[in-house]
Amino acid sequence: LGAALCPGSSPPSPSPLCFPPTVTSEQIEHLHRRFKQLSRDQLTIRKENFDSIPDLEFNPIRGKIVHAFFDKRNLRQESDGLADEINFEDFLTIMSYFRPIEMNMDEEQLDRFRKEKLKFLFHMYDSDHDGKITLQEYRNVVEELLSGNPHLEKESARSIADGAMMEAASICVGQMGPDQVYEGITFEDFLKMWQGIDIETKMHVRFLNMETIAHCY
Amino acid sequence: MGGRGGPPRRTAPLVPVPVLVAVLAAAGAAEGRATSESQLPGASAVGTGPPPSPSGAAFEETRLHVFTLDYPHVQIPFEITLWILLASLAKIGFHLYHKLPSIVPESCLLILVGLLLGGIIFGAEEKSPPVMNSDVFFLYLLPPIVLDAGYFMPTRLFFENFGTIFWYAVVGTLWNAIGIGISLYGICQISAFGLTDITLLQNLLFGSLISAVDPVAVLAVFENIHVNEQLYILVFGESLLNDAITVVLYNLFKSFCQMRTIKVIDIFAGIANFFIVGIGGVLIGILLGFVAAFTTRFTHKIRVIEPLFVFLYSYLSYITAEMFHLSGIMAITACAMTMNKYVEENVSQKSYTTIKYFMKMLSSVSETLIFIFMGVSTVGKNHEWNWAFVSFTLLFCLIWRALGVFVLTQIINVFRTIPLTFKDQFIIAYGGLRGAICFSLVFLLPPAVFPRKKLFITAVIVVIFFTVFIQGITIRPLVEFLDVKRSNKKQPAVSEEIYNRFFDHVKTGIEDVCGHWGHNFWRDKFKKFDNKYLRRLLIRENQPKSSIVSLYKKLEIKHAIEMAESGMISKVPSSVSLSEYHEGKIKPLSPTEMENMREILTKNLYQIRHRTMSYNRHSLAADASEKQAKEILIRRRHSLRESLRKTNSLSRETPVLAFWLFYRKQFF
Repeated sequence: LGAALCPGSSPPSPSPLCFPPTVTSEQIEHLHRRFKQLSRDQLTIRKENFDSIPDLEFNPIRGKIVHAFFDKRNLRQESDGLADEINFEDFLTIMSYFRPIEMNMDEEQLDRFRKEKLKFLFHMYDSDHDGKITLQEYRNVVEELLSGNPHLEKESARSIADGAMMEAASICVGQMGPDQVYEGITFEDFLKMWQGIDIETKMHVRFLNMETIAHCY
Repeated sequence: MGGRGGPPRRTAPLVPVPVLVAVLAAAGAAEGRATSESQLPGASAVGTGPPPSPSGAAFEETRLHVFTLDYPHVQIPFEITLWILLASLAKIGFHLYHKLPSIVPESCLLILVGLLLGGIIFGAEEKSPPVMNSDVFFLYLLPPIVLDAGYFMPTRLFFENFGTIFWYAVVGTLWNAIGIGISLYGICQISAFGLTDITLLQNLLFGSLISAVDPVAVLAVFENIHVNEQLYILVFGESLLNDAITVVLYNLFKSFCQMRTIKVIDIFAGIANFFIVGIGGVLIGILLGFVAAFTTRFTHKIRVIEPLFVFLYSYLSYITAEMFHLSGIMAITACAMTMNKYVEENVSQKSYTTIKYFMKMLSSVSETLIFIFMGVSTVGKNHEWNWAFVSFTLLFCLIWRALGVFVLTQIINVFRTIPLTFKDQFIIAYGGLRGAICFSLVFLLPPAVFPRKKLFITAVIVVIFFTVFIQGITIRPLVEFLDVKRSNKKQPAVSEEIYNRFFDHVKTGIEDVCGHWGHNFWRDKFKKFDNKYLRRLLIRENQPKSSIVSLYKKLEIKHAIEMAESGMISKVPSSVSLSEYHEGKIKPLSPTEMENMREILTKNLYQIRHRTMSYNRHSLAADASEKQAKEILIRRRHSLRESLRKTNSLSRETPVLAFWLFYRKQFF
């Protein structure tokens, strides 16, 4: 029954993905199995389905991660806002942001690759979808990050966020006069800040050795 | 390293530095004086004679000496001090000419100095200079270097690459050892070279001791070229971990050489020995690391001796491992890595700084001494030159290393998340330097079993000199030529810490969603275990600290100290505000003032500079430059005055004082 409900028991071809198809069919099989597990053999996943992953509960930025799956910008849809549910194709789209780097990529491809990944992260910071990370959004992120720490006061988290924001300002804008206000981190600024970190090598999950050991309940 | 107690070595006395000729002359004179008690009364500077003693041996007695020189009494500490002094002076000398260390690594220069000294001693005394005593090397000179390296090792990167490092260390060294041994045996079979009396086992033993990559040499060469941390950790980690294999192989083949028959059971015993040596060493290290951390939990009353515990426990781990013939290097590395995590939070700031500086100092001195001794010990009569053996040894070392790295990398790349490129492989192969460990090992060979020992010594020396000199000097231009990715010495900022943490969580989350147990999974599990049990046991005030918060607090404290020093709070507070404070009533701050303060805080944060440990053996944290600090202070004063003028506070001092109080409450 589950197989009949799924969009064909063979997973869809990877052509919807914009960049060169590098997710192998074996990996797609793995992910498909996982998708079926998460969705309890339904066609789509909703936010509630993510609650069934036990380890995710301990993750401080759980909300943002789940949110990222439903963010229409990540799903390459023209509209804005949040989708209610995603199907397997969308799931694959999100997963494709975490593909490993390949040896035969040229400079331009690498650059695009990197930008894609950073855009994903940027969307996680920018919760109101206005293309800028404002101070309030940044504070939000830091508070969530440090939420696992019960001894920390909210004040400290805010000050840390403020400090980090100022650092960002200095990197992106340079010396600021005392009256200048820094609006927010745009995507270009964001790129600048991550320049030193080679995100394309770090940001991937090895689908190769996946076994769906971690069961959902 | 374990099990190197071969035939008991005669402790050769360290010869005094002949450049200090006066000392030598005086020593000679003193020895003459000390040995012959019977002096002619006229020869010594005496006071006018007291009457001869009534005993019968009146003619033998000595007069009262106004000035005495008693060298043998202080000989050993004196010589040690002179050697260390010489080593340090040589180091100063190199750095005076600032271009020199960038072209030639220090190790080469030190060996040259050693050669010079050895030549002088040899020429002056017509006998071979004292060879570096292997006991001194393994028990005193090597541990500080390994401790320093292990303490400051980037643990995260190390464990991420652990599989690869382990693979290179164990399989790579085995490959090299057996390859070199067998090919040399093949060469020895050719009777034209006059080497037919060297057996297969002897060749294998030689191969095993020469294939070990040396941590001292690697550190000395790599510290100047600043390759990216990943490459560095691969080569360096390999040099540390291969100690286990080297110990086992060395002992194995040495015993085999002395045994009549070799049974299959012996080979299995050898394999089992490897596991015991490696795992045992690590366990001892971890255990003592925990004990050290636990001890420092209670030292808050006697801060002064806190650094001592760190050094004592780590050295104890080393010699305990040596006692059981386990791998001392792995023990001390494990101990240092374990201690680092917990001790840092228990000891005071001053103790922490002391530990860091003292460790660096010890390791620097040790390294210098090792290289100088290597140079000194080269000169002399312990050599036998044989063109074929020496040149083929060198050739095979290079070939097998290159082959080994290439083949092993092809295999391990399948399992790695970030495959190693050809450039990386080349640097790893080229960075496989040999050094003092194989040097000392070859001197430990029992001459009864190895009649051609001198030949081995010569070959080892040639290989070491080649790797240290040629490879050491050319690796820097090669790295630049190949455009290997260098380490980016950016100062970490709080925002970077935040990003990294954020990213970790994202990755873990995605892995959870995929159901994939990756590195992050295990790291998370360990962190949870750590937080629940270990930290509670080993750390005194256990507040689960976030690295973001600790970094932030560190920076803030530094900032606050700077501000106080710059005289921001220099104004004497008006009596009004003071009296209010003393009465226990602090004037409640209006919301606008609070907001101002927060603004001030944020505005003044952006020039934070803080450098973490970059891989430099000679310097620790660098301070912000003078000019920068002054600029910060001027800026802050301006902005503070600006904002104070804007507010309509009653007195100028009150906000400042309250500001300081706010600071204190927050961070102290």
